[in-house]
Amino acid sequence: MKVLGILGIIVILLFIFLIQRPGLKRSGKREKIAFFSIMMVNGVLAVLLVIFPEMPGPGQMIDFLYKSFKPFW
Amino acid sequence: MCKIQAIKRTFTLFLLIFLSSMVLTGCWDRTEINDLALILAAGMDKGKNNNIELSVLVFIPRPQQSGQGNEMSSGGSSGQSFVRSAEGKTIADAMARLQEALTRKIFWGQSEVILIGDKLAKKGISEQIDFWMRHSEPRIRADVLVAKGKAKTVLKAIPELEKDASIQLRKIVKSHIGVRVTVKDLLQMLSHTSNVAVLPWVENLPPTQMDKKKAIPIIKGAAVFKDGKMVGRLSDKETRGILWPRNEMKTGVITISFTGEEGSISLNLLRSHNKLIPSIKNGKWSMRIKTNADLEVFQNTTEFNLFDPNVIKKAEKKVVYEIEERERLVMTELQKKLNADILGFADEFEKKYPQIWKKNRDQWNEIFPEIAVSFDTKVKIQRTGLADEKHKRGAER
Amino acid sequence: MIEKGRISGLELALIMYATVSATAILYIPYITAQHAKRDLWLSPIWGSLSGFLIVVIIVILSRYFPGKTLIEYCELILGRTIGKIIAFLYLFFLLHDTSIAFREYGEFVESAFLHRTPMLFVTGSIAISCAIAVHGGIQTIGRCAVLFLPIVFVSYVLIYIFLIPDLNLKNMLPIMADGVLPSIKGSLAPHAWLSQYSLMSFLLPLVTKQQKVMKWGIVSVVASVLTMVLMNLGNLFLFGDILINLQFPVFEAARFVSVGSFFEHIESIIIAVWVLGGFIQLSAFFYMVVLGTSQWLKLPSYKPFVLPIGFLIILFSVWTIPSFEDMIRGMGTTVPYYFLTIQLIIPSLLLCVAVIRWKKPKSFMQ
Repeated sequence: MKVLGILGIIVILLFIFLIQRPGLKRSGKREKIAFFSIMMVNGVLAVLLVIFPEMPGPGQMIDFLYKSFKPFW
Repeated sequence: MCKIQAIKRTFTLFLLIFLSSMVLTGCWDRTEINDLALILAAGMDKGKNNNIELSVLVFIPRPQQSGQGNEMSSGGSSGQSFVRSAEGKTIADAMARLQEALTRKIFWGQSEVILIGDKLAKKGISEQIDFWMRHSEPRIRADVLVAKGKAKTVLKAIPELEKDASIQLRKIVKSHIGVRVTVKDLLQMLSHTSNVAVLPWVENLPPTQMDKKKAIPIIKGAAVFKDGKMVGRLSDKETRGILWPRNEMKTGVITISFTGEEGSISLNLLRSHNKLIPSIKNGKWSMRIKTNADLEVFQNTTEFNLFDPNVIKKAEKKVVYEIEERERLVMTELQKKLNADILGFADEFEKKYPQIWKKNRDQWNEIFPEIAVSFDTKVKIQRTGLADEKHKRGAER
Repeated sequence: MIEKGRISGLELALIMYATVSATAILYIPYITAQHAKRDLWLSPIWGSLSGFLIVVIIVILSRYFPGKTLIEYCELILGRTIGKIIAFLYLFFLLHDTSIAFREYGEFVESAFLHRTPMLFVTGSIAISCAIAVHGGIQTIGRCAVLFLPIVFVSYVLIYIFLIPDLNLKNMLPIMADGVLPSIKGSLAPHAWLSQYSLMSFLLPLVTKQQKVMKWGIVSVVASVLTMVLMNLGNLFLFGDILINLQFPVFEAARFVSVGSFFEHIESIIIAVWVLGGFIQLSAFFYMVVLGTSQWLKLPSYKPFVLPIGFLIILFSVWTIPSFEDMIRGMGTTVPYYFLTIQLIIPSLLLCVAVIRWKKPKSFMQ
């Protein structure tokens, strides 16, 4: 199941790459670097989420940061 | 070069179409109409070992016969619906059992009637209402009724005029013979502090009025609930008494007679408007029930001439007395015997005196029987019909 | 500037209206009712305070730096390093907010209709259609808003018109039985939603008539607040005290419609129409994230980033919110503070520094 999920992610990321490729060719270096770093973040995060679905995220961070405000209400 | 780009473009286009078609089907939740068992009405009864028995009236889809008239509907039990039931710990559990015996998926979207057997009603209904609110299919507009005996038997009834028990009950409820309560209304009543509710009471038509073998459900009075349990019943006449203050009185014939006079006058109700006016003075709680009603004369078997304004006044006075008498009858029943505030007095007090109410909310059960109820009824006879009384006196002349 | 397209003031107001109200009408009544009970219709009025305040701050900031968005003038005001950090914070918040919006959309469609369909497919399919709109630029979104929102608006008004026989005005009494406090407590969620008007900063440089921006911003806030108040009132009139038990009162109201026993079961149409509004909202959010990212990285075009960021948004929508209950609980407790810190405190901070360090612009207020 997890292997299939990772495969699916790779396929989707490849699709995205293929669709955006014509545009990327025309663009400069900065854009290419930015594009690939976002894709990297995507890939790593997606694989992590497939392997550890219960991984704590920003939502929990917000909960933790603002927990002390709750008693006001 | 150009060619390769064109190929690439078509390739990406196909990919896009392929991707979106995969995503847009929504095939997980696909259900065709011939995979659905349409539920027309549901009944809840007390089963064995504290279980719930859920009975459903399932619609049988049949193609309409062309030109042949309706042979099917006259064919007795082989009508257009059937009843199935199953037991379970909860309604959802019973529904799962029920599903095992049906080839099609149960669909609640068309279920417009929910019947509760009297045994279950006496045991308590508040837990069961949860299902009807939580599940996303059943309508919260469905009418809720309490059946004498088992709900299952009522669902099995085959009325003469209507196709099945569901339509029969729905139409009777709609005609404002008794109270009309939907799932939403019931929940609203139960969630209020006073925690009382009133539901229409379904009985079979007495055998004197029809063929003995058949059982036809009609509405006869109302069932009163307190803390989620049925605590008592109101008769047909008493129910009319609560319809006035609940603003549900839409039709009805009132017959009055005068002492020392032969015959009586029957009046038809055209419209009525009612209002509850609470007041708290010096710690004394009182409620004024204000009623305005317009009537027309249907029949006059007395010797009175209705063109005489004095007679009209007299008749109006008598009607006022009649209406107040019914209301008084039911109020003593509610206040002294059942201690159930089904007219929503608590709500009225809360809205007018929120601060006093907050202090006394917990003592409401002690306060309610002591509330002084007064009546303020205004009646107007609008029309006296198409004929006058002279034809009766024709012989004298 | 990256974006070539321009929008009119009306389109600005409509896009912002959709951004705030599309999910607000679904979730606000339940969350507000938990604290405010019968006074829930008052809460959006208190909440409008942050809406108006933020619109004023953002518009004044845009007068200081015409043609620049919050991400861009952040650096100008606070210097390169701090500016980049604050801008990143804001951008991360925006990404988070967008993913919450996608999740709200998905959760609603799931709990109302597609119980079995995995959430990814619901959010994923809307993300793909939004991506097309975002790729088309702001003008596409603006035109869609002008086309779709009137339909959405009319259909929602119609629900309550059809329900008039079932509405009981007395449900609203007694007003403020426990004082003002419950309604102010309940206003937390409306505050959070209305604080999203800070996102207007991304659209302001694109408006053709800059002088009328303030007017349209205020009009949009008023419209959102009115929508929330009227929706809350309509639900209160219909459901009374049981409103606090209903997660999607608007949906329940649509299910309750029954005119002459043949015009019933219209909730599917209502959802289909609502999706139009949701589409505008999500596209606008999506567009702002993409635009903000490329501005933060100082890139000449945003188009290559539409799909990767769309993917990231969907990932976030799965990652940040474990479940529906968590989402609802968060919206009623911690998330509003988060929204307010980022969207109210950062812009006011920027404004303070700008007032001290920069000269007043010539065209300050019209």
